Order: sequence, then structure tokens, then C-alpha cells
Amino acid sequence: MEEIVFGSGIMQLLIALILVSTFMILGSTRLYSCVRAFGMQSFLLACVAGIVAFSTGKTDIYIVAFLTLAIKAALIPYIFIYIIREIKVKREIDLYVNISPSLIIGGILVVISYYLIRSINLITELSSFALSASMSLVSIGLFIMISRKKAIMQMLGILIMENGLFLGAISLTYGMPLLVELGIFFDVLIGVLIMGILIFRINRTFETIDTDMLKTLIG
Amino acid sequence: MIYTYSFYGFFFFILIGAALSIIFNKKDRLSTSASFISAAIASIFGIIFSLSVIFGETFDLALPGSLFFNFGFSVDRLSAFFILVISVSVFAVSIYSVGYMREYFGKKNIGYLGFLYNIFILSMILVVSANNAIMFLIVWELMSVISYFLVVYEHEKPETRKAGFIYIVMTHIGTGFILLSFLILAGGSGGFGFEGFRASGSTMPPLYKDLAFLFALIGFGAKAGIVPLHIWLPYAHPAAPSNVSALMSGVMIKTAIYMLIRVFFDFLGAGVLWWGFLVLAAGAISAILGIMYAIVEPDIKRMLAFSSIENIGIILLGLGASMIFYANGSPALSAIAAIAALYHLFNHSVFKGLLFMGAGSIIFSTHTKNIEKLGGLIKKMPMMAILFLTGVLSISALPPFSGFVSEWLTFQSLLLSFSSGDSLVRIVLPASAAVLALTGALAAFCFLKAFGIGFLALPRSEHAEHAKDANGPMLLGMGIFAVLSILLGILPVYVIPFLDRITGTFTGESAIDKSISSDYFGTIIMPASQISMSTPSLLVFMLILLSIPLVILFLSGKKQGTVYETWGCGQPVSTARNEYTGTALSKPVQIWFKNLYRPVRELRATYSVSPLIKQSFKFESRIGQVFENHLYIPVTGYILSKSRMIKFIQTGSIHAYLAYIFGTLVILFMFVILGGK
Repeated sequence: MEEIVFGSGIMQLLIALILVSTFMILGSTRLYSCVRAFGMQSFLLACVAGIVAFSTGKTDIYIVAFLTLAIKAALIPYIFIYIIREIKVKREIDLYVNISPSLIIGGILVVISYYLIRSINLITELSSFALSASMSLVSIGLFIMISRKKAIMQMLGILIMENGLFLGAISLTYGMPLLVELGIFFDVLIGVLIMGILIFRINRTFETIDTDMLKTLIG
Repeated sequence: MIYTYSFYGFFFFILIGAALSIIFNKKDRLSTSASFISAAIASIFGIIFSLSVIFGETFDLALPGSLFFNFGFSVDRLSAFFILVISVSVFAVSIYSVGYMREYFGKKNIGYLGFLYNIFILSMILVVSANNAIMFLIVWELMSVISYFLVVYEHEKPETRKAGFIYIVMTHIGTGFILLSFLILAGGSGGFGFEGFRASGSTMPPLYKDLAFLFALIGFGAKAGIVPLHIWLPYAHPAAPSNVSALMSGVMIKTAIYMLIRVFFDFLGAGVLWWGFLVLAAGAISAILGIMYAIVEPDIKRMLAFSSIENIGIILLGLGASMIFYANGSPALSAIAAIAALYHLFNHSVFKGLLFMGAGSIIFSTHTKNIEKLGGLIKKMPMMAILFLTGVLSISALPPFSGFVSEWLTFQSLLLSFSSGDSLVRIVLPASAAVLALTGALAAFCFLKAFGIGFLALPRSEHAEHAKDANGPMLLGMGIFAVLSILLGILPVYVIPFLDRITGTFTGESAIDKSISSDYFGTIIMPASQISMSTPSLLVFMLILLSIPLVILFLSGKKQGTVYETWGCGQPVSTARNEYTGTALSKPVQIWFKNLYRPVRELRATYSVSPLIKQSFKFESRIGQVFENHLYIPVTGYILSKSRMIKFIQTGSIHAYLAYIFGTLVILFMFVILGGK
């Protein structure tokens, strides 16, 4: 049954769409569209969880799917938009790496992830597709943190990494114990709140949230 | 059964002491009593435990629930001896502390010190009873860190914070080397248990054995204070509260000696001749340099710290001789030298504890550490002066006090090398005996200065003028040590067979059985060489010798001359400013050894109107800091300049740091993909 879940056409489509949403974040220069793409990614993730729940018949995974929808697809994007509006930041993203090289690097990372998962061959051919997508999400999330200057994008990058980990976890285990999942959700939510507060602080102290300016702490 | 009860009894009371001192934190008097009396009770359990191990069986206790490592305690006779030394010191120092802590009432956080004090004792006991390298390193670090917090207890003084910094840096350099040594040993045995080290340590390839030896010597040498790794002692010991410095100097640095014996004899099998020579050389250098710096030091606690370096040197002379004899195949001689080393170790913990407590009492009542500002204390604090004098006589190695016996034993063991077949041994060991002789003379001089200038003559400052004698618990704590140092001096006939039980476990030979006997007066008699000396008979001899001038004076019947103040140089002294000073007393030594001390003298004049009209002069004279200037500053400079070369990777940019992680991750990915296993 497990193979049916991750091998099914709809699942493949969803995972591919998650990757596409990641590339939308990578290819966008506007903060709002990045947040929107992230919301879409989280929504797709909730769908994945929903399908897993439907085919395994476990009720806790329904709860997980619902929480993903509520927290990651709705609440966190709302917090983002609130922060952007409140600190009146310029809506454009400053980049270290331009859009087109970013996209190319993203593509390379996906290929590397795919080969990486292939080479460890610990599971079947079909669910390794989900796993390699999750690996791509983690590495692209990290890459976004590196290549974008605004502190908000660092926050977004770490959330993309978290989504990647979620996808990996669900494709390997078909749902972790509910308690663990709840802990992770709580963690992410608190993390976002703290990072949001920090961004406010950075903005107040330095008049900018450009992390390029935070270089004075070297010894 | 008595093992287990006394072992747990120790832990129970030490933890109770730590807990109570925190609970009663705000009530200074109650907190002091609770924590230090608990520590004293715990130390009684420690003494019972150690004696029952020395006269009984080895104690082993595996800790339950250790998943990755087999943590546990293993107390053989060697460990038990060190537990005994620690417990005896803790007992006396804890009683002393009950009185001494009044100094800090209302000024400092008493509960904090009581807590650290108890945990510090606990960590020292754990260090000498651990049976696993990982566990050892954990408790060793615990001991270092806790003692660091104790050193910086008076952290409101900036020099104390700097002293603490030097200490923690040096002790961590030491720990780094210890770690290397243990890793080599663990590589040989395939595990971290001391049992495994013991089994496979002596069968490792020679290169590994040599490296393990060297790293252990450097690592533990930094804690013991072997020259040139000694630089932290003269800063850390004076900075700490005196009861803590009594423990740090008296017993903490001895835990390093414990591990040196453990590693050299127990793990590595001590079969290599040059190891012994190296330890001997380190001992000789530490002994002579330590005492020479002590002589010219006006700060009484710094002087005692330098003297600790000297005494560690003397202990290492005994240990080195023991290793040489062992490698040369004469285990009986090796056992004698080891007995000498352990005897001196015990003595040093007693009289150095006594002297540090005495220094604490001086600070307690005069609030100065400078010998030049004391004077006349024998009249102001007579009880304390007598106790301090006992310590001074012991450390100066005068019979019948304890220092004499152990230094005499060390001499004997060094001179017994005449019977050795190896000509190098026959040259080097007597030469180190000569160094020891010089050290002993200088030590006597050094403490003559300390006592003579500090306690005799007229008070040299306001502080000394209004000094009061130490309070009851302080005198009691010091009294215990004073009695002990006399007992250790006149009863070697019982102490030597006792120590023989301990040294027999690692030299593999009992010195008492093998053609060496210890007669009633504590003499070591070797049938072959007939070298002997007994303390009490020597005392009688000295008394006769001393009484001759008195008898002559008595017989001549005339009493000539006038009595003036001490140190008044025969002049009718009216004020303390006319008196001879400590600096003046040690000046000849400073001139003889000018090349070593590299003294710095500066004369600065300020003038008004014209340089011809001088307003005031300022003269400053101090000892050059040879090791800091010629060893540590070049080495740290080199390390810093190399570090600056790779500093460019620290950009301060979050993105760059993330990129490092990312790059590493991608490289690891590629490594896996390309089939790396």
C-alpha cells in the first residue's frame, strides 16, 4: 500500500508542484509573491499529508494535515505579510546571486539530491522520488538563506527547509507519532514568532533588515 | 562492608554540605557552619575509607546505567593514599574555614563559596578514584572549572580576574595534552577503561609509548606546576581565598602527581631509562627555580606558591629516581625513592596547608599580603606565630620536623645510586642530590626571611600594629597540621612501612623486606652501603651542639653587651623605618643570580622649574618575568600571527557562514554520490 501512495499519479503531481513552488520563490524578486508561493507550497504539503492519511486511514495524519494547512499555509504567511506591512520594508528583494544563476543552481541542487537519494538506495524506487524532492527543498532553502540579503528571506529559507524535512519524514514513515508532530508544529510557530520579533528589533536598531549590514561583530 | 559505608558516607556528607550552604545562603554564620562542618565529617569518612583500602582489599564499584562507557570507581592502594592525603587536608582546612570565613561575612556570598568548596573536594576525590579515561576527563575538567570559580571568588578585583584567566588557559592547555595521551593509550587498548590501558599500555610500540609519556608529562605537569608550565601558580594561589589556596596548593596539584605515577608505572610500565632522567631534570629545575623566585618575593602568598613549585620539584626528584631505578632493574631502590616521593608529598600537603592557613590568618588580621608591611606579629599573634613557625621549620627541612625526614629520604635514595652499574646514573643522580642540597639551603633562607621579617622586630605598618591573634577554629585547624607535621617528623618508623604498602603496588617490590630495614629512629639501613641517619638522635645531637655556647656563656659568668630590637642592626632603633627589610635581606641572592632574575630598576625624578631642582624621586625595583618574556610571549605571538592568516574566513556575514555549511554539505553529497563509503 505504501508504494501505491507515493507511486500514484496524483502524488507525483503534488510533489512536482511543491518543487515548482520552490522555484517560484527562487525566481521571484517580490516579497509578496515569495510569501504567496510559500503558502502554496505549504498547501500542497497539506494535500500530500491528506492523501497519506486517506490511504493509510490513520486519524492522526488527518490532524497533521489540518495543522499544516492552518499553521503553515495560513497563519505563517499572514505573519509574514503583517511584518512586511508593519516595518514598511521595500518590497523588492536584494540579491547576492541573480535570478537566472539562482534558478540554474536550484536545478543543479535538484539533480544532486536525486542522485544522492539514488545512491543510498535504502527504499523503493517510487518513494525515493518524494525523498529526493524533500532533499532538494532542504538544499534550496539553505541556498535561499545564503543568496538573499533581507532577514525575512532568511526566515523564509529556514521554513522551506522545514517543509522539506516534513516531506521527507512523511514519505519515510507515513506519519510520525502525533506528539512529535505537534511538537514540531509548535516549534515552527514559536520560531517564526521569535524571528519576527527579532526582525522588528533589527529594523529598529539598524534602520534596515538588510543582514549585509550586520558585519560588525567580528573579533 | 566498611568500604561501601564509608564511601557512601563521604558522598552523602559532601553533597549535604553543598546543598545546605546553598539553602542557608542568606544566613552567613549558619551557611558557613553547615558547609564546612559537613565537609569535615565527610573527610573523616574519607580517612576511614582510605585506610580500610590500604589495609584491605581494592575497592571497585561500577556505576549502573552507563550505556556507552563503563564508568565506575576503582580504588587501589595508590588511589586510597591520595584520598587519605586529600581527606586529612580537607579536615584541617574545613575547621580552619569555619573561623576564616568570618572575613567575608556581609561582604561576599558565603553560600556560593561553601557550595563550590564541597563540590571541589568531591571532584578531587573523583579524580583519584575514576577508572575510565572519559570519566576521568569529565571530573578533571570539573575540578579545574570549580577551582577556577574559587580562584575568581574575589572577582571585584581586576587582578584576580586576570589570575583566573591565566589559570584556566594553562589548565586547558594541560587538559589538551592529557587528552592526546589518553587517545594514544586508548588506541593501544581499544577502549577507554583504565583496566584496558593497564593491560596493553606496556606492549604498545615504543614511539607511541614515548609520545603518551611526553604528553602526560606536559599535561599533568601544567597542573602540578612543573617549570616552565608553572606560570599560573604565582597568580592563582594568591588570588584565591586562603583556605582554598591551602587546598589547591596542598592537594589539588598533587592529583597531577597521582596521575603521573598512574600513567608512568601503571599504564606504561615505566621501563624506559630516559623517561626517568627527564622527570628528574624537570624536578631539579622546578625545585631550584621555584625556591629562587620565592626568595625575592615580597607577597607572602606568592612566595608560598613559588615554594609549592619547589616542593613539586622535590617530589619529582624522588619519582624520577624511582623510575630510573625501576628501568635499571633495581626495584627495591625504586621503592625507596617512591616512598621518599610520597612521604614528601604527604608532608608538603600538611606544612603547605599550614603555611597557607597562616598566611590567611595574617591577611585576616592585618589585611595585607606584603611581608615588608608586617613585623612584630610574634607579640601580636603569639599562638599563630608558634604554629606558623612549626610550618616554617618543617618546610625548611630542619629536624625533627616532617620536611627533614622526607628530604633526607630523597637524598638517601639519590645517593644510593652509587651501587648502580650504569655510570650515567652514577653521575646524574648525585648531581641532582647536589641541586636538592642547594634547594634546601635556599628554602631555609627563604622562610627565615618570611618569619624573621614578618613576625619579629617592630611592626612596619599600621596594619601590623593592630593585628589580633587568630580565632579558635582557625587556630584549631592550623594546630592539627602543626601536630601532624611534628608527628610525621619523629615517627617515620611507622610511616615508612605504611608507605611501603602503597609503593609496593606499582614498583612491584616491598622496600622493607628486601635488605632494607627501617630502625626505630626511622633510619633506612642498607646493609651494603650503611648510610643511615635518624631524626630523634640527630635532634639530641643538635641540642648538645647548641647548648655548648650557652654553657660557655654561663661558665664565663659575665653578661656583656646591650640588647636592641631585632633587625635593628645594633642601633638604638626608634621606628620601624630604621629596620632591616626583606628586600635588603634577599638582596645578596638577587645580586648573585642576576642573570636569572634579570632585575629591572628604574629611577624617575620629577623636577620643578629647572632640571637642577629635583622635587621628588621615585625608585622601582622588580624581578624580570623571564618565562613570560622569553617563552610565553614568543609562543603566543607566533600562534596569534598564524591565526591571523586564516582570520579572513571570519567575515562577520551570516551569508558567508551559511555558505560554508552549504558548501560542506554539497561536497559531502558529492562524496556519497561518487560512491564514497
